[in-house]
Amino acid sequence: MRAAYLLKRFGLLLAVLWTAATLNFFLPRLTPRNPIRERIVQLATSGGYLEQGIEEMVKAYEAKFGLDQPLWKQYLRYLGDMVRLDLGYSLTAFPKTVMELIGEVVGWSIGIAAVTLLLSFLIGSVLGALIAWPKSPKFLQYLVAPLMTISSVPAYIFGLVLIYFLAFRAKIFPMMGGFTLGTVPDGSFAYYMDVLKHALLPALSVILVSLGGWALGMRGMMVTVEGEDYMILAEAKGLKSNRLFSRYAVRNALLPQITGLGLALGYLVTGQILVESLFGFPGIGSLLNRSVFVYDYNAILGVTFMIILSVGVMTLILDLIYPLLDPRIRTGEGK
Amino acid sequence: MARRFNRRDFLAVTGLVSVGAMLAACQPKVVEKVVKETVVVEKEKVVEKEVKETVVVEKKVEVAKEVTKVVEKVVEKQVGIKNVPRERTLVYLFGGSGGTWSDAGNCNPYLATGFTHQVGLAAAIEGLQYYSAFADKQMPWTAESHSYNDALTELTVKIRKGVEWSDGVPFTAKDVEYTLNLCLKWAPQVRNSAYIKDHVKEVKALDDYTVKITFLDPCPRFYFETLTFKFDTGQYIIPEHIFKDVADPTTFQFWGPEKGWPVSTAPYRVSYFTNMQKFLDRRDDWWAAKIGFQKLPEVERFLVLPQVDDTKAAQLSIANEIDACLDLRPTIMKTILETNPAVISHTGKNKPYGYVDWWPNNIGFNDLEEPFKNPDLRWAVSYAIDRDQSIQVAYDGAGSKQPLFFPSYKSLKPFMDNIKDLLEKYPSNEYNPAKSEELMKKNGYAKDKEGFWVKDGKRIVMDMGGWQVWADIGPVVAEQLRKGGFEATYSQPSDWGDRVNLGKVNGFWYGHGGSVGPDPWLSMTIYHSKYVAVTGAPGWSGPWRWKNEEYTALVDQIGLLPMGDPKIMDLWHKAMEIWLRELPSVPMIEWYHRIPMNTTYWTGWPTAENPYLNGAPWHLTCPRILDNLKQVKK
Repeated sequence: MRAAYLLKRFGLLLAVLWTAATLNFFLPRLTPRNPIRERIVQLATSGGYLEQGIEEMVKAYEAKFGLDQPLWKQYLRYLGDMVRLDLGYSLTAFPKTVMELIGEVVGWSIGIAAVTLLLSFLIGSVLGALIAWPKSPKFLQYLVAPLMTISSVPAYIFGLVLIYFLAFRAKIFPMMGGFTLGTVPDGSFAYYMDVLKHALLPALSVILVSLGGWALGMRGMMVTVEGEDYMILAEAKGLKSNRLFSRYAVRNALLPQITGLGLALGYLVTGQILVESLFGFPGIGSLLNRSVFVYDYNAILGVTFMIILSVGVMTLILDLIYPLLDPRIRTGEGK
Repeated sequence: MARRFNRRDFLAVTGLVSVGAMLAACQPKVVEKVVKETVVVEKEKVVEKEVKETVVVEKKVEVAKEVTKVVEKVVEKQVGIKNVPRERTLVYLFGGSGGTWSDAGNCNPYLATGFTHQVGLAAAIEGLQYYSAFADKQMPWTAESHSYNDALTELTVKIRKGVEWSDGVPFTAKDVEYTLNLCLKWAPQVRNSAYIKDHVKEVKALDDYTVKITFLDPCPRFYFETLTFKFDTGQYIIPEHIFKDVADPTTFQFWGPEKGWPVSTAPYRVSYFTNMQKFLDRRDDWWAAKIGFQKLPEVERFLVLPQVDDTKAAQLSIANEIDACLDLRPTIMKTILETNPAVISHTGKNKPYGYVDWWPNNIGFNDLEEPFKNPDLRWAVSYAIDRDQSIQVAYDGAGSKQPLFFPSYKSLKPFMDNIKDLLEKYPSNEYNPAKSEELMKKNGYAKDKEGFWVKDGKRIVMDMGGWQVWADIGPVVAEQLRKGGFEATYSQPSDWGDRVNLGKVNGFWYGHGGSVGPDPWLSMTIYHSKYVAVTGAPGWSGPWRWKNEEYTALVDQIGLLPMGDPKIMDLWHKAMEIWLRELPSVPMIEWYHRIPMNTTYWTGWPTAENPYLNGAPWHLTCPRILDNLKQVKK
C-alpha cells in the first residue's frame, strides 16, 4: 500500500468531516428557530404558565452559550471544538455536555446494533448461500418470497407487531426498557441475562427484517459465482460438494457482503432510531429522537457529527483493509 | 527469517480485536458512582455464612428466604440502594422521549433549561404553602402563616418551627431570604426571577422564623401567586447552607447521593437518577413526621420512568406495571378503563375520564393585523364553530366547552355567576352560522365559487396549528371553519411555536395557564397590554397580541386590591364586558387531565368523590398526593 494512497484516503476523510461539520453548523441556522427560546418556552408552557421576562432570559442564555456572537466567530469556535471532539453543552440537559449524553447511551446502541447486525449478516448470508446452492433441500427455495416480503417491512412496524403479540398478549418478553426498570444495574450475571431478555425483542424485529436483504444479496452473488469457470473446473476435478460450496462458492460470493458489512458497521452508533424509540431502549437512536423532539440543537449536531465520523472512519478502515482481504485488489501495485 | 504476516493472520487478529472491542463496548456504564462502593469479597463471605447457618437448622424454606434477603442486602450494599417491593413502590411514567430522559442528575431547580419538577422531582420539593383548587383550601406547610401590612407593600412570613432539611440542618427564614435574593441577583437567568425583580425591593430574615419581603409597589398576591405551590407555579426554596458556596447557581447540578444531594425538606430524596429511571425514596426522618405534623407517607419508593408513547403507557397500565402516567387521549383512556377493572380516572369509569385542568384552550389570532384586527371577524369565526360537535367527534363526547379563558373551579364560580348577563349578551360559545355570515357580509366579504369568504380578492387564510395535544380536535374545528367560509387548515409544523411567537399565524390553538382561585386576576393579566409585542418581535408572554388600555387599567386596579376585596367584582364585570365585546380570542374547550390511576397497589387517589387535589403527579402538589395514597397489599 503506497503512502500516497493512504494520504489520499485520510485527506478524503478530513474533507468529508469538514463538509459535514460545516453543513451541520449552517443548515440549522437557516431556519428562524431559536433553540434557547424554544427550550425555555417549552419548559414554561409545559407547566401551562408563561412567566415574565422570557425574552430577557433567552438573551442571557444566548450569551452563555455564545449564540450572541457573530456567525463567523461561532463557526471558527465550532470547528475548533469539533477538532477536539468537544460537542458543547446540551441545551436541554444543561450543564451536561453532549459527549456525556452520548457516553450514557452509546454502549447500548453498539451492543444491540452489533448483535443484530452480525446475526442478521451470518444467518442471512448462510441462508442466501444455501438457497442458491443447487444441492440444498428444495424447501429452501420457497423462502425467497417470504424473505423478500419481510425485508420490505420497516423494522418498527415489525416491532409493533412483536410487542403486541409477544410482550403485551403472551407476556413472554418485557414491553420496554434496557433492563427491568425499578432495579439497579449491579453488573451481576442475572443483570446481564435481564439485559439480554430486554434486548431480544428489539433485536428480533431488526434481525427478521434485515435478514432478507443479506440473504437475497448472498443468493444473487452465489448464482453469479456458480457460473464462473473455476467452479466448473473444480467440479470437473471431482471435488466434494461441501468443499465446492464452502471454499469456492461461498468464499468468493462473500466479498461484496463483507463490503456491505463494513459499511453497515459504520452505522452501529446510529443505532436503530425508530426501533430503539419504540422499545424504549436507551440507545443513541432514542437520544437523537428525543433531541429532535425537544430541539436540542447541540445534541442533534453532536450525534449527527458522531454518526458521520463513525461512518467516515469505517469507510477509511474498509478502504485500507480491502486490499488485504481481496488479493486481486492491490491499489497501484503491479502497474 | 520471520514468518510473514499473511491475510489469514490479519483476518484472525481483526476478528479477535473486533469481538473484544464489541464486548468492551457492550459493558453498560449505568451503575454510576454509587457502584464504586462495591465490596465483592464481603458479598461472597456473607452469603456463605448465612446459608450454612440456616441449613444447620434444616429450615429449607427459610434458607431460600434468607438467601434472598442476603442477596438483596448485597445488592443494596453494592449500589447503595435498598430493594423495595412492587407493592410498596409507586410507579409513574412521565416525560422524556423514546424511553429515556437526558437530564439525569439535574436536581438544581434553578437550572433554567435543564430542570423540570414535572418528571418526578416535584416529590422532592416542598412549598411554604399549598393550595388545592378543587378543595379551595390553602394548606400552610413549611411556613405557618403570612401577613401583609395595610399598604400591601410588605409581606411577613412566619416559618414553621421544626422544619429540617434532609441533612438535618434546620429550615429557617434565612433560606427564604437567600432564595429570593438569589433570584434578584441572578435575574433574569433563573425561574420567575424577572417577576420577582420587578416587584421585590428587599428581603430580610428578621430572625430564624420570620422573613420580611418589601415590595416596590403594592403586591397583595405575591404570597399566593409566587410563594404558594399549586399546579406548576410556586417558587422553589433552596438550602442556603449549600448554595451559598456555589459560584454560579445556573450551572450547579446539585447531584451527589454520596453527599446526600439534593438536600430537601420533602419526604422523598432522590436516591438514584439515570436517563432511564429515578428512585425517590421515602425519608423516615422527614421533619413533618418527627414533629407530628404529618404521618409518614405509605409509598416507600416513588419510581419514575420515562414515557415512551401513549400506546405503551396504555399497555403498561392495563398490565398493572405502572400506577399513573401523563394524561392520555379519551379514546385510549376508555380502552384502559374498559380493559382493566383496577384502573380508575378522576371521574371513575365515566366520561370525561378526568378533571378540568387550569389550562382552558382558545383559538387565537394576531389581533394587531388585518383581517383579525377587526373584532367582528373574530366573532364570525366563533359563531362558525360548533363546539359540541367538535367535542363529540374528537373526544367521543368526553369533554366540555368554556365561555372565556378560566377553568370552571369552585372558587371562581362567583365570578362566572357575576357575568351571566354578559354571556347572554355575548354568547361566546354559540354556534350560529347565520350570525357568522351576517358579520362577514357587514364587513364587505362575499363568498367565492368554492364557498370561501373573499374581500379585495383575498380569502381569509387560517394556518391553524398547535402541538400534538390538539391533534384530535384541531382538524375537526378546521373543517367546521372551512364549511363556514374560512380557508382553514390544521397542522403541527415544527416551527409552530416560533410562528405564534412572532405573530405570523391566525387560528392557533393555545391554553391559558393562570388563575386557579380564589380570584381571576392572574388569568386576566394574560391579556395585559404590556405583554403585546409588535408583529415580528417575539411575544411569548402575549401570544394573543390584543391591546386594550381600558381593559389593562382595570386589570391593574384589581392587581392592587387584596384577594376577596368586594371592589374586585365590579372591576371584573367591566373588564369582562370589554373582553367579550372584543373577543380577542375564541373560547373553545376546557382542558382535561385524563390520568389512569391504578388501584392494584395503591388507593386514595384524588377523584371527583375525594377531590383533595388535582391528580397530576407532575405538579408541585405531588408530595401531597403521595401523603394520601394507601397501600393495598400489605
